[in-house]
Amino acid sequence: MGFSTKIFFITILILVVASCTTDDNAAKDEQKPTIDINYNEGFPQACSQLVRGETYSFKAMVSDNAELASYSLDIHHNFDHHTHDDQDGECSMDPKKTAINPWIFIENYTIEDGLTTYEINIGLTIPNDIDTGDYHCSFSVIDETGWQSRTSVDIKIIE
Amino acid sequence: MLGVWLYFSLCSITFAQDSFQIEGSVVNANTLQPLEGANIIGKGLFSISSATGTFTIKNVVKGTYSLTISHIGYSSETATITVGPKMDTLKVYLRDTVTELEDVEVNGKTHKRKAQELATVSHTVSKDFLDKNRENSLMQTLKNIPGVSTINIGSGQSKPVIRGLGFNRVVVVQNSIKHEAQQWGNDHGLEIDQYGVETVKIIKGPASLQYGSDAIAGVVDIQALKLPGQNSLKGEVNLLGETNNDLLGVSAGIQGRKNKWFYRGRLTYRDYGDYKVPTDRINYENYIFELHDNNLRNTAGKEADASLGIGFISGNLKSETNFSNVNAKNGFFANAHGLEVRSSNIDYDSSNRDIDLPYHKVNHFKITNNTSVGIGNHTLQLDLGYQNNHREELSEPVPHGYMPTPPDSKERIFDKNTYTLNIKDSFSPNQRHDVAAGVNLEYQDNNIGGWGFLIPAYNRFTIGAFAYDQFEVHPNLHVLGGLRYDYGVLDSKSHYDWYPSTVNNSDGSTSYVYLQRAKNKTLDFGNISASLGISYIHKNTTYKVNLGKSFRMPLANELASDGVNYHMYRYERGNLDLDPESSYQLDLDIDHTTASFSFGASPFVNLFENFIYLNPTSNYYETLQIYEYTQSKVFRAGGEIRASTTVLKNLQLDASAEYVYSRQTSGPKKDFTLPFSPPLSGLFSASYQSKDFLFLGRPQVRADYRITAAQNEIVPPEEVTEGYQVLNMSFTAQMNLFKSAKPFDLRVKLNNVLNTHFYDHTSFYRLIDVPEPGRNLSISLTVPF
Repeated sequence: MGFSTKIFFITILILVVASCTTDDNAAKDEQKPTIDINYNEGFPQACSQLVRGETYSFKAMVSDNAELASYSLDIHHNFDHHTHDDQDGECSMDPKKTAINPWIFIENYTIEDGLTTYEINIGLTIPNDIDTGDYHCSFSVIDETGWQSRTSVDIKIIE
Repeated sequence: MLGVWLYFSLCSITFAQDSFQIEGSVVNANTLQPLEGANIIGKGLFSISSATGTFTIKNVVKGTYSLTISHIGYSSETATITVGPKMDTLKVYLRDTVTELEDVEVNGKTHKRKAQELATVSHTVSKDFLDKNRENSLMQTLKNIPGVSTINIGSGQSKPVIRGLGFNRVVVVQNSIKHEAQQWGNDHGLEIDQYGVETVKIIKGPASLQYGSDAIAGVVDIQALKLPGQNSLKGEVNLLGETNNDLLGVSAGIQGRKNKWFYRGRLTYRDYGDYKVPTDRINYENYIFELHDNNLRNTAGKEADASLGIGFISGNLKSETNFSNVNAKNGFFANAHGLEVRSSNIDYDSSNRDIDLPYHKVNHFKITNNTSVGIGNHTLQLDLGYQNNHREELSEPVPHGYMPTPPDSKERIFDKNTYTLNIKDSFSPNQRHDVAAGVNLEYQDNNIGGWGFLIPAYNRFTIGAFAYDQFEVHPNLHVLGGLRYDYGVLDSKSHYDWYPSTVNNSDGSTSYVYLQRAKNKTLDFGNISASLGISYIHKNTTYKVNLGKSFRMPLANELASDGVNYHMYRYERGNLDLDPESSYQLDLDIDHTTASFSFGASPFVNLFENFIYLNPTSNYYETLQIYEYTQSKVFRAGGEIRASTTVLKNLQLDASAEYVYSRQTSGPKKDFTLPFSPPLSGLFSASYQSKDFLFLGRPQVRADYRITAAQNEIVPPEEVTEGYQVLNMSFTAQMNLFKSAKPFDLRVKLNNVLNTHFYDHTSFYRLIDVPEPGRNLSISLTVPF
């Protein structure tokens, strides 16, 4: 019993030591980047109406505690109401319809090294031949470690 | 001399003057057949039951006695009897246990003794434990064992995690055949009817030596059912009701044996509604999902299982063939599919029992044959298996990226056939050696369908040969050593998207291409596994040291995937250059057990040379984050401690704790932990068994209090999970309602007594901030016949 008790305590000690050593959390990046369109120049704002053929600057602010790496912009139709945005308030939706020639914009970009804040600014001309109606626009950003944040906004494209 | 003789005879005479006689009988509680040869022992009293089950103890002085009635293969019972005039005859019902002794008893060693001598660190779970702790799935039931946890999705599905590792790193074995489904998948559960399970052996460490590839972190070995007794026929019906998800379940089993032939069958049906969480809204990122009546929308499900076994036993030949089919349909939380927030026109809240999209359907059909033949001092064991796993994941068709709206709801279909052959010869050349050698062959044919692509179709063939020897250095010192070599070929099949994607060429032009997601590729792998261990038994203490090397062949998705997983917002890229994972583990195990007190500790240290890890990178592919299969070195350490004591005669206290520390020591996520790392957790239990009360026999009340620490060790895309404390209570008893019938088993369980709102770090729904189920009252009644 004495011998086994001793072993028992030694193993507990090993467990405790193992659990406390080399905890270099300080060096580890455990924070997600942030992404936001809720500022004056942020675009598009929730429920915006965009006109075909016009050119717009899509803008969002991103920041990270360590280093930003890349971002993306995805614009796709929501004619079937399959999703909704993460902004306050509900936008009024058109009736559901079948897509014929929907606009699909899918693009990735990298951010130059060493930045912790950055303003996404993508100039886009909305094609003239695409379907009008409800669209879903989502920005996302990844930091150097691989943490990702997203935000999305419901918009309408009109004639 | 004469004086001594006189003294004794006088004494006997004196005793005889006011002595009584205890009469009674012993019967099998299940069959109500008399039991011959049961030992009836009390202070200064002893008797053995006759062929009719009766016993008599003469010359008993007036007073109160405690008698222990025991029989090989049955759990012992204690009866208190007051001896005096007008005594009733005592009737004792003994229940057979699975764990007591093996059918074939070579050297008269008990299961327990054999497990002590074996150097591998394993834990055997009895039917009694399973019955008392039964939860919604087999793995959730086993969660109470320190070192075992689960990855859950919803209330009915969970997969095993041993010391923090799961998916394809834990092997599930049933009737000696490896259970093969889509273990790699996040939303896959275990397609096994938990009512058809009697004994489970859990190995918490590398066990490739005996179980081959994938047994790198541990094994859940569901052992063959116990052989029915000769000329017996028995059965049981189990009824279960639960309040949290309005579950209704029924399972009926029957088994019988003539002389040489035996059979068994079981039917199980369960139907449940959406489960309730202790909140009326879920905040996921910036989204808010209002819940109707606390129901986690569309998590209802149903399950129908059937199994049939036929066997033959004669002399030294035993053969059993089992057919089983498990069929389940489970809905997934409707507000988010994967991580993707979804809107729908479906009226999910009209009923909490309907299963709408998204849901999955799975059917697992299995035939196994286990045959063993004894020839001289050899035992030849042959296991044959065929399994078909058919799984369909259905969701509302929605366009994503360049993919237009798909034509139907069949998102992913998997159809996998697995053929298994194991041959093993165990023999004892002399008293001190137990040698075993064998080969395992397995062929898998995995086909895919549906509009969503995640893993390629593939064929896989593996063959492994092993030999090990358990050497008795001394009756209390055993050494186990073994070697194994495996060879595997994986043949992945090419796959193209069914829709064109827009590709911007370097010359500025744009083309529309049906992208290739997987290539035709043949890859082969070879690997050595080994194990060396010592077991030393000193009085009431067993010491074990085991060093093992195990491996795992990379999976088709790890090697060849190249697909977009829209619902997880990621693009998964395989790597054809992956090596088989190999892991080294040092296990210690100390167990000290006395009649009233026991404790144990099982620490381990583990090194992975090349852990295959799905690494989230900092780049995009078509606006989806690229996740790449990479290999890194991993250091892990931790273990479990357990203690139990009988404070008062009927009060038992148990405590256990488990902890795993994991670190990636190389690669892009150096210094990070591994995904789904279970936090430090402790379980405290108190159970009190009172005297028989009215018609209730052996009533027992138990409280389980789990304290889990916060998990601050995370890796993208996980979130820190706070600690929690949760209380479960249960009451079990035998109900002797009718004198002539066998007692019913009653179990009333109250889970999450305080309706605590908490998150489980290893639950898949944790990623979308869904808390664990709220309070649940379950009532189970088992009626034997």
